[in-house]
Amino acid sequence: MTTCALDDLRILDLAGDIGIYAAKLLADLGADVIRIEPPSGDPARRIGPFYHDDASPERSLSYFHLNTNKRGITLDLTSDDGRALFRRLVATADVVVETFEPGFLDGIGLGYDALTEIRPNLILTSITGFGQDGPHARYRWSDIVGVAMGGMMTLAGDKADPPNMPYGYQGYTGAGIQAAAGTLMAVLQRDNGGGGQHVDVSMQEALSINQETAMQTFDMTGAIRQRTGARGALPIDIAGIGVYDCTDGQVFAYLGTPGGAPWSAMLEWMTDAGKAEDLNDDPYREMIGQLNLRFLTGLAALAADPPKLQAALGTLGHIYDVFSRFCKSQSKWTLYEEGQRRRLMFGVVSTPADLVKNPQLQARAWLHDVHHDELGETLRYAGPPYRLSETPWAIHRRAPLPGEHNIDVYGDELGLSLPDVEALRARGVV
Amino acid sequence: MSIDATPTRGQPLSGIKVADFSWFGAGPICAENLATFGATVVRVESEAHLDGLRSVGPFPPGKNTYNVSGYFNNYNAGKLDLTLNLNTPLGKRMAEKLIAWSDIFLTNFTPRIIERWGLLYEELVRLRPDIIAVYQPMQGYDGPHKDFMGFGAVLSPITGYNELCGFPERPPMGIGTNYPDYVINPGHTLVAILAALHHRRKTGHGQRIELAQIESSVAPLAPALMDCTVNGRVETRAGNRLPHAAPHGAFRCRDGEWNGQPEDRWCAIAVFDDAQWWGLVAAMGSPAWAKDERFGSHAGRKAHEDEIDAQISGWTAGRPAEEVMALLQSQGVPAGVVQNARDMLQDEHLKARGYYVYLDHPEAGRTAYDGPPFRLSKTPGVLRSPAPLLGEHNELVCREILGMSDEEIAEALIAQALY
Repeated sequence: MTTCALDDLRILDLAGDIGIYAAKLLADLGADVIRIEPPSGDPARRIGPFYHDDASPERSLSYFHLNTNKRGITLDLTSDDGRALFRRLVATADVVVETFEPGFLDGIGLGYDALTEIRPNLILTSITGFGQDGPHARYRWSDIVGVAMGGMMTLAGDKADPPNMPYGYQGYTGAGIQAAAGTLMAVLQRDNGGGGQHVDVSMQEALSINQETAMQTFDMTGAIRQRTGARGALPIDIAGIGVYDCTDGQVFAYLGTPGGAPWSAMLEWMTDAGKAEDLNDDPYREMIGQLNLRFLTGLAALAADPPKLQAALGTLGHIYDVFSRFCKSQSKWTLYEEGQRRRLMFGVVSTPADLVKNPQLQARAWLHDVHHDELGETLRYAGPPYRLSETPWAIHRRAPLPGEHNIDVYGDELGLSLPDVEALRARGVV
Repeated sequence: MSIDATPTRGQPLSGIKVADFSWFGAGPICAENLATFGATVVRVESEAHLDGLRSVGPFPPGKNTYNVSGYFNNYNAGKLDLTLNLNTPLGKRMAEKLIAWSDIFLTNFTPRIIERWGLLYEELVRLRPDIIAVYQPMQGYDGPHKDFMGFGAVLSPITGYNELCGFPERPPMGIGTNYPDYVINPGHTLVAILAALHHRRKTGHGQRIELAQIESSVAPLAPALMDCTVNGRVETRAGNRLPHAAPHGAFRCRDGEWNGQPEDRWCAIAVFDDAQWWGLVAAMGSPAWAKDERFGSHAGRKAHEDEIDAQISGWTAGRPAEEVMALLQSQGVPAGVVQNARDMLQDEHLKARGYYVYLDHPEAGRTAYDGPPFRLSKTPGVLRSPAPLLGEHNELVCREILGMSDEEIAEALIAQALY
């Protein structure tokens, strides 16, 4: 029997979109996470994609993914009876994760101070767009607001377009990861005898470090990093850098980088394949011999000599065209796997279908099958972000159906009788 | 401001010792967070193979030594720095002593290098039985792609971010950074380490943690994967829109000016329900076009999203982005300026919360660092010192942690083990 790292923790999960991933990370490492949904329906169940495109609350694949290993109960926190029940649950809990507007829980008598009177060492993790205090604390947030205000979006996309929102709720993902880490940091302090505390996660702050060098660049030099489109910082197309079409999709190439083989190894491969055209003749061969990232600096120096620069650009352009034709004749997996064997840095521009059949993920059995009794089907899920040898990540339980564990939790654990639970249900409390 | 090897007091990780054999982004950021919450972290580097970020800018004006890179320094605050050449026998023995001292060992070097240096988990537990040994390979320690090269620039395309991010008519260019390096991978690693520490406190057992960077990066894209495995749909770029929101995107506002040049300014706006829609309409001054009954429901707004976007753009175009945000927020609509780095550093809200931290570095001067990524009310986390100079703490670490005498330190210098 394997053990779980967090099997001594009980977590009450009141989180909306911004915090569900945090509670999932903890649940998948063994915490007993009880997800609390309003009886009127959990908005998180309305987020797609959906099982067979059936947009009903029990069919959201996004919800399935974000709520593995959690138990689910319904509870109306806006009613007195609901709050009384919640207090009884808090008395059994180690952590509460919540994402209400700052001050909301205080307003209904369930703020940090009130909760720690019930459970002195409780950890309250609050995840919001902008944190618990400061002039924007009450600002409304959503994922796109987070990536905009957190400095990520300004770096993404082409100058001809609006700044790009990263796919897949990366604002919520980043906030969720930092919140899971912050919660565990507080757990360790409690282990030290330091008691519980309030963990404050601001999505804006959680994402700031994703700006890469932009923040320090402005701080140190006053320059503002911009979105730079497909070419990145390069002024012209350079053979072997960027996105290339293949027979069956696209690859991203980054040749001539430190640690990898020089461009001449690429020429050798194209020659072996009979697709080097005239690149073994000068001036192409000579230029290929010097084609690396440092070369571009030299190119800038040529700006003082326009005819020479024009000739160099013409030579480079031809190498780019021949290289592009070579890529176009190959499959993306050939370029990736054979390229890597030759120490040439290619990567498949993976579609979701490519990820599902990625040979490395397959060989490591990364995807996980989870059986859904209610669907009579086994669904294939994404696998773990990490592998812990003693306390492995595991999916023991699919996401709960609405109120699936009401009887377990209210009856078996809090000791309410079945008629009591039924009466609460009739009044809309659970 | 300087630090030494004395343990902190009263912090979550006080007394925890970390041997940080990592480089670039994913490892060092994680170890910096451990230091911020009280751990003693020794960053191990070598002049024989410098961390690439030390030679990449930004650099302060007029300086470009490997101690002043803003890229490197932002990920290494609060650490002690030891230069150790593991390709020398003495350097290897010193590394083993450091690991025997450590609670946590962290590396993102390739499996080939780690195998060559003899730093696999099976080898480390002989030095320190309850160690938490953390490996962040690109692809994993087994499997057919185990030795593939890669870093952030190719990790994003391989893991699906490039295919899925951006506008459909553009190539899959990614989001302009080596994205998984900064939160996804270091953050997931931090979660795993803290869970393992909790487990060790209960049981006394350490363990091996492997975070294959492709697996950690793909994990948050699970819904797109499941749309494929369950529904057979292969999603691709969809720009700034979401199925359950409309309007939803970045809207161009009045140009600003920076250094005498016009600067494009944008505000993100998100409308998920009728209340937010009517808030938007009110913020715009209730224009006649917005009262069209076609726009009265989410389904209607979704069906006419292009038309609505064009109308909103007409309204935002004449206003500063900050004014658009403030007007919409006052009506309860999620909205935020697309902030650039200048906006971030000058953001009054972030200033009020003290997010960015300015530290005095002996060579780089006073520069900004990202503060703690989360706040704990009783133990808020502190960047105790700026990033270390290369080898800054060689003598301190040798003497106080490795217990070496002056003669032994001199010997290590001569043997180029301390290098």
